[in-house]
Amino acid sequence: MEKKVNWETELVKALERSKNEGKPIFLDFFNPQ
Amino acid sequence: MDAGTYPNEAVIEFIHQNVVPLQVASDQQPMASDFKVTWTPALLILDQEGNEHHRTVGFMGADELIPSLLLGIGNLHFNGNNFKKALSSYENIVSDFSESDSAPEAIFQRGVSLYKSTSDPKPLKEAYEYLQDKYPENQWTKRAYPYRLIQ
Repeated sequence: MEKKVNWETELVKALERSKNEGKPIFLDFFNPQ
Repeated sequence: MDAGTYPNEAVIEFIHQNVVPLQVASDQQPMASDFKVTWTPALLILDQEGNEHHRTVGFMGADELIPSLLLGIGNLHFNGNNFKKALSSYENIVSDFSESDSAPEAIFQRGVSLYKSTSDPKPLKEAYEYLQDKYPENQWTKRAYPYRLIQ
């Protein structure tokens, strides 16, 4: 089992993974402050 | 959410199994403008082309995040007219997360999905009756109110 969420940080890479893995993207916009 | 929700084991496992997680600062352009982000956390479900199908704004604990993601995944499939997959997500919420804030919408969407996939309006009335029984004050019960008249 994974020990943490392995976030992508770039939309392009997430889209590529989404197509390859057949999964939707969960996009979290967070407050950087 | 980085402090409490995302370290939760059930959340980690759900995300790993079901979605590609993407985390972006709300001041990162052009994404923030493209997705019209005005408050955080803004949590979106996107399809493989980057089209948005579901959004929530504000903190969510682990007990609410998983059913919310399931709802978003269900709505993605619903929007693509893949009612079998949509129903699978909605049923998961109804059976395993019935106390969550996402449950009433899932029941509503389950009724609509069944109607759209069979042309039988009875599931719409059943959705209203279920909502009226379990969640009488919820907004989705009010939205389903006209379905009570279906014969």
